[in-house]
Amino acid sequence: MVVTTPRKKIEILIDRPLMKRLRQITKDVELSGYTVFDAIGGEGGQGRWRDDQVTGGAGSKVLFISILNEEKAKEFLTAIEPLLDEYGLLVTVSTVEVIRADRF
Amino acid sequence: MENLLSPVILFFILGGLAAFARSDLTIPETLSKTLSLYLMAAIGLKGGVLIASNGFTLDLLFAGTAGLLLSFLLPILAFAILRSFGKLDTVNAAAVSAHYGSVSVVTFITANQVLSDKGMAPAGYMIAVLALMETPAIISGLFLAKRGSTLSFQPNSDLLRETLLNGSIVLLTGSFIIGIIIGKDGFEPIAPVFETGFTGLLCLFLLDMGLLAVRRLRNARSLTLRLVILGIAFPIINGLIGTIIGAAVGLDVGTTTALAMLAASASYIAVPAAMRLALPKADAGLYLAMSLAITFPFNVIIGIPLFNQIAIYMVQLWS
Repeated sequence: MVVTTPRKKIEILIDRPLMKRLRQITKDVELSGYTVFDAIGGEGGQGRWRDDQVTGGAGSKVLFISILNEEKAKEFLTAIEPLLDEYGLLVTVSTVEVIRADRF
Repeated sequence: MENLLSPVILFFILGGLAAFARSDLTIPETLSKTLSLYLMAAIGLKGGVLIASNGFTLDLLFAGTAGLLLSFLLPILAFAILRSFGKLDTVNAAAVSAHYGSVSVVTFITANQVLSDKGMAPAGYMIAVLALMETPAIISGLFLAKRGSTLSFQPNSDLLRETLLNGSIVLLTGSFIIGIIIGKDGFEPIAPVFETGFTGLLCLFLLDMGLLAVRRLRNARSLTLRLVILGIAFPIINGLIGTIIGAAVGLDVGTTTALAMLAASASYIAVPAAMRLALPKADAGLYLAMSLAITFPFNVIIGIPLFNQIAIYMVQLWS
């Protein structure tokens, strides 16, 4: 029987050039791991946007995903809190079940 | 009219029309990125090979100094106009003004191609001037943003390093140096890739730029009529300044036109990424729409023949 354990999954939609700042924070709080996905396009408060690598990625976004234990998740969210308004981050936190909980 | 019938410009117009008509035509992102890298390597190499053949001249020093000064100072003029006529706040005015001090590589490449077709190829050292003009405007823009505001950012060495090591600048400058090292003989074996295919691939890239520009214009929510007017007025003012300086320091017609196009163009590669990082509160949709959707098409379709004619007149006047 596979044992699953609850963990927090944090997803952040962020402009590609700002990913450098987020990466620095992951180092500062010693995050165990994360994955970044290219986002093709979408629509939101600032209108429609699409991935556009020709303009140096200034108008492109990426999706950052990390799965953490509750304590680390709180620490990470506190660290990115000052960036939320300034960088216009879209952050969601959900509870997921993971296998091999010692890895998160 | 002759300019409009060049295949490069016609492909740009085709891209624009396709986007206007809401066609599903798209160039895959990876291909357009590859094309942009190819064009930068090719133009850098060609400039370097020309320098290797013709040697360094005093004109290079004059054009380089003029380019540096233009890049530092043009944002100050643009900032004042954006704050008053454009009615932008300090941060947005500073971010937009930095774009107008910096340069558009694709506008330069297109101008270079059109001028070469007319037998007025600009001097090879203009590639070095292009590279020199990329970054000073970013420093001016950040200075303007910091002045009179309580921004939390600090322009630091990281930002400067990231800007100077921007992939486009590294490839352009690196290829230019390789061109100088290998010279004409070393370039010959690789010419089929970097010379024979150049115009055809530039056509494909400009097709994508036409699509990008018009789609960007469609989605620009924060663009006002005043800013559209400035998106056309800035290249005219800056291009005129560039033409006058080019002719005054004794550059030939093709090189004066190239300097005018560098002054008239607005960056949409190095500066947007730097501004997004340094001034995150500035509206990226706004500065990208102004530089890519207004100024770039204006320069490609009208600016190149316009400043070429003015350069012919100015150079005659000064000689």
